[in-house]
Amino acid sequence: MLNAKKERLPAPEVNFDDAKEMSRFLQEPDAMYVGAPGKHGYLRMGFELDKKGKSIMRDLERRAPLIVQQELYFDEEMPEMPCVYILSSGGPNIDGDRYQQDITVKKDAFAFVSTGAATKLAEMRRNYSGLIQNLVLEDNAYLEFMPEPVIPCKNTRFISDTRLSVAETATVFYSEIFMGGRKYYKDGELFQYDVLSVCSHGERPDGRELFREKFVIDPQVENPRNLGVMGTFDVFANVIVMTPPDKAREIYDRTEVFFDKTNKIAAGITRLPNDAGLLYKVLGMEPGPVKKLVRAFCSIVRMAVKGKKVPAEFPWR
Amino acid sequence: MGSDNSLMKVMRLLQFTDSAFPVGTFSFSNGLETASFEKIVTDAATLEDFTRSQSHQAAYSDGVAALLAHRAASAGEYSQVLKIDHYLYGFKMNDESRQMSTRMGKKLAELAVRLYDNKFLKDLLEDINNNTTPAMYPVMQGVLFALAGIDEKELFCSHQYGVINMVLGAALRCVRVSHYDTQLILERLSEETESLYNEASEMQLKDMNAFYPQLDILASLHEKGNMRMFMN
Repeated sequence: MLNAKKERLPAPEVNFDDAKEMSRFLQEPDAMYVGAPGKHGYLRMGFELDKKGKSIMRDLERRAPLIVQQELYFDEEMPEMPCVYILSSGGPNIDGDRYQQDITVKKDAFAFVSTGAATKLAEMRRNYSGLIQNLVLEDNAYLEFMPEPVIPCKNTRFISDTRLSVAETATVFYSEIFMGGRKYYKDGELFQYDVLSVCSHGERPDGRELFREKFVIDPQVENPRNLGVMGTFDVFANVIVMTPPDKAREIYDRTEVFFDKTNKIAAGITRLPNDAGLLYKVLGMEPGPVKKLVRAFCSIVRMAVKGKKVPAEFPWR
Repeated sequence: MGSDNSLMKVMRLLQFTDSAFPVGTFSFSNGLETASFEKIVTDAATLEDFTRSQSHQAAYSDGVAALLAHRAASAGEYSQVLKIDHYLYGFKMNDESRQMSTRMGKKLAELAVRLYDNKFLKDLLEDINNNTTPAMYPVMQGVLFALAGIDEKELFCSHQYGVINMVLGAALRCVRVSHYDTQLILERLSEETESLYNEASEMQLKDMNAFYPQLDILASLHEKGNMRMFMN
């Protein structure tokens, strides 16, 4: 009896129930209800320069299952940069989970954010898992957001909305890597999820929207194996770089595009609308080579903006 | 310029859809040139798959915008047309196809103003010329069809025919296929138009979506590459 839950918390602010692609998945979960404590993660991180000009994480608020401890300075090429790994104590995202992550990088500050491990999206029977992100960059701020891949399992339903509010002089590197599924689970589980809906939109601090990218992958509607979609590839990376036009030109010119059928990897780059920056895409078979290309691309961006490269990834990652 | 003359409407539909309608549809290959060069599209079967993806991609983005612009223009909602135009411009990720779309859209608006004495069209062309609105081709199509009294279903067909025919026309010049092959592909893809329309006609701006990373990468190769049989 749904209406018997008088003690229920107010409806979570992370709500995608009006999204067309989620309309089939609005049933209450069998176990814990939508947005119950432990199913409604919230994270707020604010980076700024301290009095000595050091970039630090001044503001941190977190709600289970999301965990961030403190910033570390482990980047060998840029030891002045605070680095943060976002962890989740709850294991994979399950049906009815809601998350929100707000990251602000104030004037002249800089930061690196990643996740401690891949984000697993569990098998789902009812409802969906939703994520809202707000990344706000003030003048001349710099953020590298490079999480580990997302792995959608059978019948996963996942929807996200990412708002990138970026000042004209700031740079954000925002990457996402999507696996086709648990490739080596049982006989291989690829593109057996129900729906992935991913929307990222960029705007200026005054709210003027510059671009909006939305993809809805519903294998029942359009087979991801079709030529033009994923074809024979299993892994997809999408990278948005919002940066001033002169930096964008430099990065664009230095970035290689190719379609390598022998090694089964491909990459492309284009310019975003309204001089917002660049969009880089990679297709591959395994996460390793795709992550490597994303990291190499990040190095081009860091070199153009900060004059420094990105160090080699830790061997255990 | 609206007409109750049903044959006149059919004549206009043919006129606006014809590849000889001078907006420049014939000179773009939509990435097919690169797909052929990279040996991804090599024969009639792969050409059909490639063209189908182009058609579906267009249906859920350009097609939706065309339908919404048609409805806005039919209701005389000028500011809504500009809103749809800006939205589609910001939604078109690929730089080359964005440029292609605004170039064709502007040509269409210029042509429409010469064909018809209509204030809506004149205002639109003025806003295009002073860079108030980007003039995305599907939006301009939606407006023109609405003002010419052609229904939105026919508009959607014309839009889909334009996308499919642009790719197939280019295929005759860069893929080993015959006219028979391309006409068969057109016939088979046309069978899907109705279900695409049923989906697209239910969608709002926020529902527009596109997931065709292979097409995006091929378009990027074309943009950065040095193959220039077609315009970019």
